[in-house]
Amino acid sequence: MLNIALLSALSYFICYAGNWLLGQNMADRPIVIGAVAGLLLGDLKQGLIIGATLEAVFMGSVNIGGQVSADYSAATVFAVAFATNTALAPSAAMTIAIPIGILMGFVTMGVNNVFLTVFATLMDKWAYEGNEKGLLIYLNFGVWFVKNVFFASVVFFGVYVGYSGVSVFVKSIPAVVMTGLTVCGQLLPAVGLALLMKMIWTKEIGIYYLLGFVIFMYLKLPIIVVAIFGIILVISIANRDFEMNRIKRQGLAVGSTNSNENDLEDFLQ
Amino acid sequence: MKYLNDLSIDDKKMVNSIAWRSLNAHCSRVGGQARQMAIGFLWQIMPALNRYYKDQPEKKRDALVRHVQFCNVSNPVYPLLAGIVASMEKENSEVEDFDTSSIVAIKAALMGPLAGIGDSFLFSVVRVIAASIGIGFALQGSVLGPIIFFLIYNSVTMGMRFGLAYAGFVSGRQFITTMYKNGTLAILTKCAGILGLIMVGAMTASTVKFSTAIVIPISGGDAVKLQSSLDSLFLGLVPILLTLGCKKMLDKRININYIMLGILVLSILMAVFHIV
Repeated sequence: MLNIALLSALSYFICYAGNWLLGQNMADRPIVIGAVAGLLLGDLKQGLIIGATLEAVFMGSVNIGGQVSADYSAATVFAVAFATNTALAPSAAMTIAIPIGILMGFVTMGVNNVFLTVFATLMDKWAYEGNEKGLLIYLNFGVWFVKNVFFASVVFFGVYVGYSGVSVFVKSIPAVVMTGLTVCGQLLPAVGLALLMKMIWTKEIGIYYLLGFVIFMYLKLPIIVVAIFGIILVISIANRDFEMNRIKRQGLAVGSTNSNENDLEDFLQ
Repeated sequence: MKYLNDLSIDDKKMVNSIAWRSLNAHCSRVGGQARQMAIGFLWQIMPALNRYYKDQPEKKRDALVRHVQFCNVSNPVYPLLAGIVASMEKENSEVEDFDTSSIVAIKAALMGPLAGIGDSFLFSVVRVIAASIGIGFALQGSVLGPIIFFLIYNSVTMGMRFGLAYAGFVSGRQFITTMYKNGTLAILTKCAGILGLIMVGAMTASTVKFSTAIVIPISGGDAVKLQSSLDSLFLGLVPILLTLGCKKMLDKRININYIMLGILVLSILMAVFHIV
């Protein structure tokens, strides 16, 4: 049990901390972390399948600007760890992992957005003093290390405390609550997608959201095909816009000799 | 790029270093929401500061102070911003009365559009395509799944890092101000947004699922299943309304945690009352 908890924490550290250390390389996505956790815990195949299933569930959840709708990495590690517990079916392990992911999301967001703010004054102070080592080594890599060791230990204790009790706990959950949790898992991606959408949405282009939805829902096309349609559409829109732009500027050049120098000033304000 | 040949070996070394260092730019997030990836930006721009301010400690210190302020762009797009800033820092080191506030201004002006283009392209398009290929393999228990996913996403981003770092440094702020002036930036933002929204729409249809168990008994006739009536009205009505509702709540600055807790409680209540 100690081993399982340690290896779970290790796979979380490798994938989650590694993702942030090396260019947000997506190693923290369920599909990757599931495989890593499966490999370390001795059941690669189970890890791959759980990872792929949870990747589809959390497709819409990404970590944007420090807002994360659920810690999908922790959810996957817990699901794989609990699935090695013979008394628990993999599907039950996945269901129980989703609320755990939400809880872990609170922890990571609390640290990243709230706790780390206390360092802001130190950043300014060290910058004034020209303390490069402090800024670049301690605050960049040091904070990365300490923070992620903390997250990994939360995972460690979660698995360690939960492992033996989880099957008893899951069996003690009334069937109706278990159904509720499953439903929650199916509705929750809405929050992550809303977050993605909020980043991009403007009134002018909002309608294209409906287009993507309808193409997938009614035509049942694979998501790659939807992407190809989208790319073709966007290229033709861009071509038209560039053309319009060119005509407009030609018109302006003929209409007046006044250049648009002020635009840049406004832009930089 | 015809200017590429004009770069000295030292220039190339510095630009490559900026591109490599962008990998670590999202490491710590120290300073929390107020600073986001500021330290990461400083880490990237250090090769330029070390080089240009070698004999000007006063200006270097000012640059440190300048670059610990709020900064956040999608990680693989960071080198473009860093390349542009590096070319401006170079100017500052050579010219006596350079207005350094223009460096801060260009960072602030570009962050939004670049993050918008980068996030919608990378998270909603590249990642989703890579994942949908990878999931197919992984579900069959093939280890190729995660490997293909990882390789597709990261080969795209690695290419971007180097291309953008050179583009940023070689053309400097000229490049981006021209792009702004002739409307190219606005068109790119719009198109990345459209593509992103189409993909988010498709993901809503594929991942958000809801089905009600409510059956409406009709006296003297067959009972009506509410879900089939909903389906004949519009497939996926509840998922799309829920997602748009969540977006409305996020727009109103309702804490995302409350929204998630709300969905959890609602789901359990629906189960208790046999709605689902």
